[in-house]
Amino acid sequence: MLRESLILGLLATLASSPDTAEIGRIKSSIGPATIERGADSMPAPVGQQLIAGDWLVTGANGRMGLTFVDNTRFSVGPDSRIALKTFEYDPTTQKGSFVAKVERGSIAIVSGRINKSGGRSGMQIETPDATLEPHGTRFIVVVK
Amino acid sequence: MRRRCLALGAALALVGCAHSSMVLLPDEDGGHGEVTIVKRGTETVVDQPNSRANLNGSRTTVRPLGPKGLGAREAMLVSGLPPPPKSYSLYFLEGTTEMTATSAPRLEEIRTEIASRPGAAVEVTGHTDTVGSEADNDRLSRQRADEILMLLVSRGFDRSIMSASGRGERDLQVPTADNVSSPVNRRVEVIVR
Repeated sequence: MLRESLILGLLATLASSPDTAEIGRIKSSIGPATIERGADSMPAPVGQQLIAGDWLVTGANGRMGLTFVDNTRFSVGPDSRIALKTFEYDPTTQKGSFVAKVERGSIAIVSGRINKSGGRSGMQIETPDATLEPHGTRFIVVVK
Repeated sequence: MRRRCLALGAALALVGCAHSSMVLLPDEDGGHGEVTIVKRGTETVVDQPNSRANLNGSRTTVRPLGPKGLGAREAMLVSGLPPPPKSYSLYFLEGTTEMTATSAPRLEEIRTEIASRPGAAVEVTGHTDTVGSEADNDRLSRQRADEILMLLVSRGFDRSIMSASGRGERDLQVPTADNVSSPVNRRVEVIVR
């Protein structure tokens, strides 16, 4: 009983700690599509929750659609490696910071609330050659 | 690949050497934003929708997409975007969790919307009017959201896809001066993603 409550307490702590907070969900997943979390590689079924630090990885013909808790939306194309490097969001103020890195592949993005919070962009998309700062928009990034 | 592109330069560019690029699209509502490209300390602002900028190479050039429009793979990316989130406002009889007659039917609309979205997530957001301090309203709006979340659970909504948040008096449906009681501003918004 004591052990059980200890474990429950630990789980509650994990659930509320920022590192493991849900930042978004997989909405569509076609072909080879996985999430890399630390040393783990897991499938990316529809409904799968994402956390900051996850990598989105697709193989040939793989695709993924995602919606984040600030309303940002991603459509990831085949042969892609994309890191969700930083995602901090306060739903009360609707301010935060979102940094993603497109190492390779392709992605369409509709920016969300983080990107509309005040003068600063709040969002950065890093590519091997350049960094993009969107300002409330829809755009495509292809890294070859 | 990139090195080979550089070495062969113009010759390959003619036959379509692989370039990393960014395409700015119009928003779904017809407006558009902009994207700033930062490369080696130089900033290029792309502010015309339907234009393409190269990301590699020493200089950023921006060109209109032209009549050919997007490539087939790019068009597939756009069609693969999840649908935009949808938001519903609910109003309650003052001091209760009893919905007004016009709000009650919204619950079934929300249920249908959730069912139509694979991997749906729901955010219940409370809003207050401007009576009271900001800090109090932050707390009140969050409490209200928690209450309504539990109400939705009691009506059969899936707890595991729901979260609650409070916006206090930041997002007034009808702008008012401070300390104005407003039933329209005291509301709960349900956002289905």
